[in-house]
Amino acid sequence: MLAIKNLTKSFKTRNAVDNISLDIPDGQMVGVIGRSGAGKSTLLRMINRLAEPTGGSIIFDGRDVTALKGRELLEWRANCAMVFQQFNLVGRLNVLTNVLTGRLYHHGLIASMFQVFTPAERAFAIRALDRLGMAHTALQQADTLSGGQMQRVAIARALAQEPKIVLADEPIASLDPMNAKVVMDALRTINREDGIAVICNLHTLDTARNYCDRVIGLFEGRVVFDGPPSALTEQAAREIYGAEADEAFSESMTSTTLKPAGTEVPAERLTEADLQQRARAELLAG
Amino acid sequence: MASIDVNAGPQPNDAVSVFEHHRSELRRQRLGMNILFIGAFLLALGLSIWVSRFYPDRLAAGLPRIFEYFGTIMPNLQFDLLFEGRGADGRAVPGSLTFWYSDFNVYIRLIVETIFMALTATILGATAAFLLCFPASRNLAPNSFIYIVSRRFMEICRGVPEILYALVFVFAIGIGPLAGVLAIAIHSAGALGKLFSEVNENASMRPVEGIRGVGGNWFEEIRYGVVPQVMPNFVSYTLLRFEINVRASSIVGFVGAGGIGAELNRVISLYSDDRVVAVLLLVVITVTLIDLLSEQMRTHFIGRENLQ
Amino acid sequence: MTAMTLQSISSSDIASVRQSHPQAFGSTFSTITRWAIWLSVIFYVIGSLYYFEVYRLLDASGRALNLIAAFFIWEDMGEWQYRQIYIGIAQTLGMAFLGTLLGTLMALFIGFFAARTTMPFVVVRQIVRRILDILRGVDQLVWGLVFVRAVGLGPLAGVLAIAVSDTGTLSKLYSEALENVDRKQVEGIRSTGAGPLKIARYGYLPQVLPIFISQSLYFFESSTRSATILGLVGAGGIGMIIIERFRANLFDQVAFVVLNVLVCIFVIDWLSKKIRARLIGETSH
Ligand SMILES: Nc1ncnc2c1ncn2[C@@H]1O[C@H](COP(=O)(O)OP(=O)(O)O)[C@@H](O)[C@H]1O
Ligand SMILES: [Mg+2]
Repeated sequence: MLAIKNLTKSFKTRNAVDNISLDIPDGQMVGVIGRSGAGKSTLLRMINRLAEPTGGSIIFDGRDVTALKGRELLEWRANCAMVFQQFNLVGRLNVLTNVLTGRLYHHGLIASMFQVFTPAERAFAIRALDRLGMAHTALQQADTLSGGQMQRVAIARALAQEPKIVLADEPIASLDPMNAKVVMDALRTINREDGIAVICNLHTLDTARNYCDRVIGLFEGRVVFDGPPSALTEQAAREIYGAEADEAFSESMTSTTLKPAGTEVPAERLTEADLQQRARAELLAG
Repeated sequence: MASIDVNAGPQPNDAVSVFEHHRSELRRQRLGMNILFIGAFLLALGLSIWVSRFYPDRLAAGLPRIFEYFGTIMPNLQFDLLFEGRGADGRAVPGSLTFWYSDFNVYIRLIVETIFMALTATILGATAAFLLCFPASRNLAPNSFIYIVSRRFMEICRGVPEILYALVFVFAIGIGPLAGVLAIAIHSAGALGKLFSEVNENASMRPVEGIRGVGGNWFEEIRYGVVPQVMPNFVSYTLLRFEINVRASSIVGFVGAGGIGAELNRVISLYSDDRVVAVLLLVVITVTLIDLLSEQMRTHFIGRENLQ
Repeated sequence: MTAMTLQSISSSDIASVRQSHPQAFGSTFSTITRWAIWLSVIFYVIGSLYYFEVYRLLDASGRALNLIAAFFIWEDMGEWQYRQIYIGIAQTLGMAFLGTLLGTLMALFIGFFAARTTMPFVVVRQIVRRILDILRGVDQLVWGLVFVRAVGLGPLAGVLAIAVSDTGTLSKLYSEALENVDRKQVEGIRSTGAGPLKIARYGYLPQVLPIFISQSLYFFESSTRSATILGLVGAGGIGMIIIERFRANLFDQVAFVVLNVLVCIFVIDWLSKKIRARLIGETSH
């Protein structure tokens, strides 16, 4: 059971998450909704400890997660799988190795540096891929997959972690409706069959209604709704979405018109050719 | 449609006058900066000419002597004697290739040594650069102290030319190729490390975050999140560096650090004859062949899409 | 789809997955090849180091420590000839500046003759490229020595050496940049009826000039570094002082000079970064 107490995250100008308290029992499927910038991503990233809370605590099965350091922190991350909007796979590694990275916490330094995985782990990873219908791509390089396929590999990686809880940050916001359905179905199946709690940030109402046992509405970092989907009245939705409410109602499963927050514009990168050209000049210059 | 008379005088609010107005404004804005730039450039040029005494008369006096010198070092080959072997007394006939390259075996031994020096130094330098480049990348360094220390260390390695390191090593460990290998390795570690960390800083951080999310430690974040992305670039840069290092190892011999350099120095300083071109030619051919080879390897291993 | 855990994977499960996805377990052949490559690299390095007498490092520790100490303990600083030192550094910078400038001007011209896009005649192109190979294949220090023999001791030989070797490399880089231009823009200029020179000026130059300048700036920095050692063969600059102090075992002065040169190089590096950023709007570093 996950208990969040007075959790707060302040950035210079504002509180992205403002004094949130929640109890999430094992095996629940929770949808977190709210407009862009409401603090959904920040909340999830703090639970996984990818972001540091500025106040409050996160307790999992009686253990204070916010106080963990070093190896214990890594163990918590291994137990608390994260699925990202942009998949966050390693593009140049093959699918199988990407899934096997879910086992990294359990390996010694030497074994992980030389990519040594046991046959049992390999079999386990293939099984995990198979559950998502992706076993046939096991040896393909990850960046050759489509978005929907990548997200399924990312979920297989989460499965390989044998997590106690799964966090998914807008897992379908970059996908087309078809793939969005496949991914959401997979998350719900994991929730039902493995009995793992899933906390899923969603940008739109419909998805939350269709898939979740419980919906939490965030507005400017505070919980403004917490209850079963059936209790999510139009009035409540207006409070969550504010001016965007009408759009949120009319959205289908994925949003293409609304840009979810956190889709940060990638920092301007030099292209491969640029790098090569500069490097040549620098190298030839000695 | 009304025809436009380009010679018509300016009219209020017409496109041309508006344009001219903007243009003159823009020029005024840029003028200050441009004058500063050109001024600084001319000043630097003037000072450079003055301190290095690069005057026209000196140049005019020097240039003919350059051609004169190149005339004296050209080989004196006679076509009919070209393939004449050594005579019964063991002497080569002047005008033959054998005469021109009478020390061929010595040169070849030294050139082979030069290549192996460059190879060993490149491997050592690239390994050091690989280890150093991750803490020296802004986006990957565990903290800013480690970042700054490793950055500065690489910059110092890179800032000092190989031959100065070679000078020091020759003093410390004596004459021989080891001094050259160490010198080139240190300089390459700095130069490659800087390039490597630039590649790292341009790598996507998403995979890194993914690995962090599954509970990987810093080493695993690097190993799985960064290395697969950057490896093709690293290999390509290392091969390019190898080309440079062959050139470098051909000169560290000037200070006694092994390779063909000692012979080059001796021949050019002591003689004004065809021996100079004989050695230079061999060096040029070697360097060019290595360039070609490494270019082939780069296209073969890394695939064309990663090269420009 | 069924739930499962790693513990529940039995050897028969592994066997069945091995059957259905044999490649997922890695082939022994590729594993062996990979290890063989790594091992041979390691053996090569160890072997070559042994051949180069790496064990001499063990005997050298005392000497090396003295040397390092001498670098860091500066004595009699009042008597160092600072004027001479700073004139030497200024001369080095001047040589690098002039040499790179001359090399750039030459390369601006020659680059067009070595690029496939701008020089249609294979023969001319190949001849130009082979000449460039010769200019590049010989190290700058060797050119320095050659020019010292030709025009005598002094910075003139150094400037020429830098100019010649920079011409070789910059021309090659420039021609590569020319081969990578966007052909559509060139075609646009050609379609207006411009001749070869005007095409070069308006079709190519605007695209490649920022790259050219950026590359020349790299070479200015690098030439400054290499100009410090041209003095080793008498081609002017600070190198003369470095080698002379070194031979006289005045290591503290050598360290001082090198430190000053390093500062100059950092400043040039920083300045050229700024200029590049202004010229190309390059965002990084
Ligand atoms: N690193 C950061 N620095 C400053 N502000 C941030 C940072 N990350 C998020 N924020 C702010 O915190 C708020 C919540 O962001 P986020 O959790 O990404 O929202 P959501 O995922 O619900 O769209 C936003 O207003 C955002 O601008
Ligand atoms: Mg978000």
